[in-house]
Amino acid sequence: MAQLKVGDFSLDLDEDGFIQQPEKWDKNVALALAETEGVNELSEKHWKLVNYLREYYQKFGVAPMIRKVCKDTNMKLNEIYELFPSGPAKGACKVAGLPKPTGCV
Amino acid sequence: MSSSMLPIVENIPVKYFIEPVPPMDRPRRFLEVFAAVLKHSHYRYVLDHFARVAAKCGMCAVECPVYQTTGITTDVPCARSGLLLDVYRRHFTAEGRLMARLTAARPLENADIDAMTEAFYRCTACRRCNLQCPMGLDHGLITHLGRYILSEMGIAPKALVVSVREQLVGKSGNTSGIPAPALLDTLSFLEEDLKDKFGLDIKLPTDVEGAEYVFFPAVSDYLLEPDVLMGQAAVFHATGDSWTIGTGYFDGINYGLFYNDRFLEDIVHKEVAECRRLKGKKMLIGECGHASRTAKGFVPTYGGENPPPVINILEYTDRAIQEGKLKLNPDVIEDRVTYHDPCNYARSGWIVEQPRRIIRSFIKDFVEMEPHGKENYCCGGGGGTVSIDEMRGFRTGIGGKRKAEQLRATGAKYVIAPCANCKKQLKEVIEDHKLEIELIGLHDLILRAIEF
Repeated sequence: MAQLKVGDFSLDLDEDGFIQQPEKWDKNVALALAETEGVNELSEKHWKLVNYLREYYQKFGVAPMIRKVCKDTNMKLNEIYELFPSGPAKGACKVAGLPKPTGCV
Repeated sequence: MSSSMLPIVENIPVKYFIEPVPPMDRPRRFLEVFAAVLKHSHYRYVLDHFARVAAKCGMCAVECPVYQTTGITTDVPCARSGLLLDVYRRHFTAEGRLMARLTAARPLENADIDAMTEAFYRCTACRRCNLQCPMGLDHGLITHLGRYILSEMGIAPKALVVSVREQLVGKSGNTSGIPAPALLDTLSFLEEDLKDKFGLDIKLPTDVEGAEYVFFPAVSDYLLEPDVLMGQAAVFHATGDSWTIGTGYFDGINYGLFYNDRFLEDIVHKEVAECRRLKGKKMLIGECGHASRTAKGFVPTYGGENPPPVINILEYTDRAIQEGKLKLNPDVIEDRVTYHDPCNYARSGWIVEQPRRIIRSFIKDFVEMEPHGKENYCCGGGGGTVSIDEMRGFRTGIGGKRKAEQLRATGAKYVIAPCANCKKQLKEVIEDHKLEIELIGLHDLILRAIEF
């Protein structure tokens, strides 16, 4: 199983690079995950999106509807793609420590 | 086109769940599962007939979008079905067993199982080949049975398995893992949006007992398709019929259709149970092809006594327009629009005219793709393959190549795909083929044009 090295510990990743234990997520994990997505620095805007997704996930157990992400963070969908090239579900949610989305998504 | 120009993909990179069957035992396990399936189902009658009449005439070859693109003979539908029919003849018919003994036929081998696995997931189960088969073989059904047997020995795409596991035994009970509180949050978000748009209190009602319609969309719509959901809510606001979303179970998706009959049945039970819990009169399925076909086809079979009638949202909206309950402004959509027939709606002729009547009632510049309706081309991501991310190159480059050509030829601004599966796939086809066309749901456009 693939591993994500964060400082002096490492986390299990699934085949698509999502962390397996969402509760172990912290800012350093986010930075390491972002690097796997080719995003080497997280700007204030990145963090705004990541923290929003994280908080929603902790409250509801799933990512919010994409339209809601855009509305609540005041970002357009293409801005999200600029921040995370793999998009909201497979990029931003991954960095925010959410599990890989399943089903028809 | 010379054969060297054809993109040849020998193996598609699908992640399978493989339960620990020792390699030596896989052929034995396959035959055990096959025998058990034959014993506990009606497949034997179908296989008996197909095994007798299959002529390998190749008429199906010209219909298959995968074979048309690859030119590989193993992609010809009757060659693919032949893999399973050969095993059936050899091991499960008296003549086959006798012949095998007389000719010392080779036994089933590991390589045969790998070949079947690959072949049955290269097929999108669009069933276009059925149209041309002079002997009436249903190659889509053979693909379905082949996948079922493989899954019972632990071979099934991971993407399908994890979704169904979440749906049947997971906490959320649906394929996208959406807990009920998240659903409620999403619905109130959509209601706010509708209020902003129309200044009206248009509801997406939950847990209304005795409603006329209990609504099951592809649950992924609650993550991806706000306009489709709002459009449907707006239609109900206009007609005044009672409808409800059940917070106990709200997923129309049934991946059982794609790989396992037992799960197919279990998922139908969940839908019907929710409809009964709410004392709903009918089941209404959203913009989703396979969800509609599984409910329409299998609720009568697995739904117990007096199973609820099933209708699709396109049938509903079409009737509302016919009855004059729905007003759509014909001057809102000026752009050219085309319509993609989801195979699970159209192949049987079930939902072909209804969406076209809806479209013609408010869209001036509507163009058809050729062929369309019952003879449509698959989006390229049918049969559950759309959920398998690692297959994207195959899905858009091979399975969806004909569809991309069709889309390009229309010169349309929008392609309507009233199916969650086709929506995801066509978005990727449009991206990968760099097409100048935008994918949209039918109720998205209705939402733009509806008047109260």
